[in-house]
Amino acid sequence: MSPNQTIKNITTTHQHRLISFLVAGLLGLASLQSAAFDLKGALKDAVEKEIGQKSESQASPTEANSNTESAKPNHTTTSSEAAFNWKNPSTAEEISLGREIAGNLLGAAPLVKDAALQKYVNSVGRWVASQSERPELPWRFGVIESDDLNAFAAPGGYIMLTKGLYRKLQNEAQLAGVLGHEIAHVVKKHQLKVLQKQQLLNIGAGFLSDKYAKDNAVISKAIGSGAEISARSLDKTAEYEADRLGLSYATRAGYEPYGLTDVLQTLGQSSNGDSSVALLFKTHPHPDERLTALSESVGGQLDKINNGKTLEKRFYLLK
Amino acid sequence: MKHYLKHALITTSLIPLLYVGMSTAAEKGSALKNDSLRTEPYADAKITGSFVRGESLDIIKKQGAWLQVKAKKSSGWVRLLSVKRGAATSSNQTAGVLAVASGRAGTGQVVSTTGVRGLSEQELKAAKFNEEEIKTLESYTLSAEKGRAFAKAGNLNSIAFKNLKEVKGGAQ
Repeated sequence: MSPNQTIKNITTTHQHRLISFLVAGLLGLASLQSAAFDLKGALKDAVEKEIGQKSESQASPTEANSNTESAKPNHTTTSSEAAFNWKNPSTAEEISLGREIAGNLLGAAPLVKDAALQKYVNSVGRWVASQSERPELPWRFGVIESDDLNAFAAPGGYIMLTKGLYRKLQNEAQLAGVLGHEIAHVVKKHQLKVLQKQQLLNIGAGFLSDKYAKDNAVISKAIGSGAEISARSLDKTAEYEADRLGLSYATRAGYEPYGLTDVLQTLGQSSNGDSSVALLFKTHPHPDERLTALSESVGGQLDKINNGKTLEKRFYLLK
Repeated sequence: MKHYLKHALITTSLIPLLYVGMSTAAEKGSALKNDSLRTEPYADAKITGSFVRGESLDIIKKQGAWLQVKAKKSSGWVRLLSVKRGAATSSNQTAGVLAVASGRAGTGQVVSTTGVRGLSEQELKAAKFNEEEIKTLESYTLSAEKGRAFAKAGNLNSIAFKNLKEVKGGAQ
């Protein structure tokens, strides 16, 4: 075994420590109130600035790399050997990160063993994604074995919905609406930005304090202590934005525009005490709030759209 | 579980019309926002009244993207996105059917979850990367052309529609 191999194995192990954190990213971990270290707001601002300023990264890699060196195992190393560019990840890096996250989710809930179903969902999803601002991504969709009602998006175009949610759908337009919402999260890089922020803060923390940078255990603990991280959600505004865009994509795809709102109507009927929606309700604004927000945004803009299809006849029914 | 299923079957067979067209029984609803009621299901139809957010409504009929509703003071047509379907109270039949379908009893309590796989935060945290499953997922990836062909088979035509914008002060 070459030394390189060994390092790779170590980082792989470490990836698994990262896993809980990354999976939590699926649920969306937005705010950084309980960020790993007690950092000055200045650092946070700097990080946000970095994420926003893509073109300015030429000058910074040196800085980033030197930090990465000391704290490498803690910051993600994807399957590629090069350090992950957290400041300005390439599409390939984004996809490999999404793959890690999606692979973990599949570890918790595998795909429904029904190739015709998966193919159908990929067909609908692919067509809706083609109406988005990132049609070139290798979009992949899956229905997973869970009776919960939920759907997930991971960076780079990995999208999954639960069998429980699929079972609630009545036609293809509703499926298109749900997938559209998740596609929008990927297009807007909502989860990616949250992960970037977190990682850059950790890198920054390592840079500011050698003590932490050298003590891997402390950092792992900070990244990996999932409880409070999982409890965080994406910003409400990100969810509303995904609703608006998801409805827009499905409408552009030629579907009846009310697929997503139909599903929100259904979800709104679920009681707060229903465990199948516990996580969904915890990580999203209440369906009624989402409907209201959509209603305000739509106004009369759908009045002239009369030819949208629902395609319930083609809708794939679960066995 | 069987008992609920039976119950669901009986219930659904009794109220098939409600699901299909809402044409007979008046469904309950509530206003998602303040809006006007109109004499006909068109944006330029004459205004006959209005309702305020949260007001409960009786849904009489659906036509396209419009609902005919009866509000506290008047009735008329309103865009369907202004109305939340189903009453806040428990007696709504659609809600009942959904509740039964999801395994909940009328009490609102969760029925035994034996054998039911959920996705709790704990399970997500404990999850291990599954290479085989991710490969299977990736094997289903379709090209844009395949997506287009699928759309064509369903007579789906893409249309021009601008991304919806946030409306300030809309949601709270």
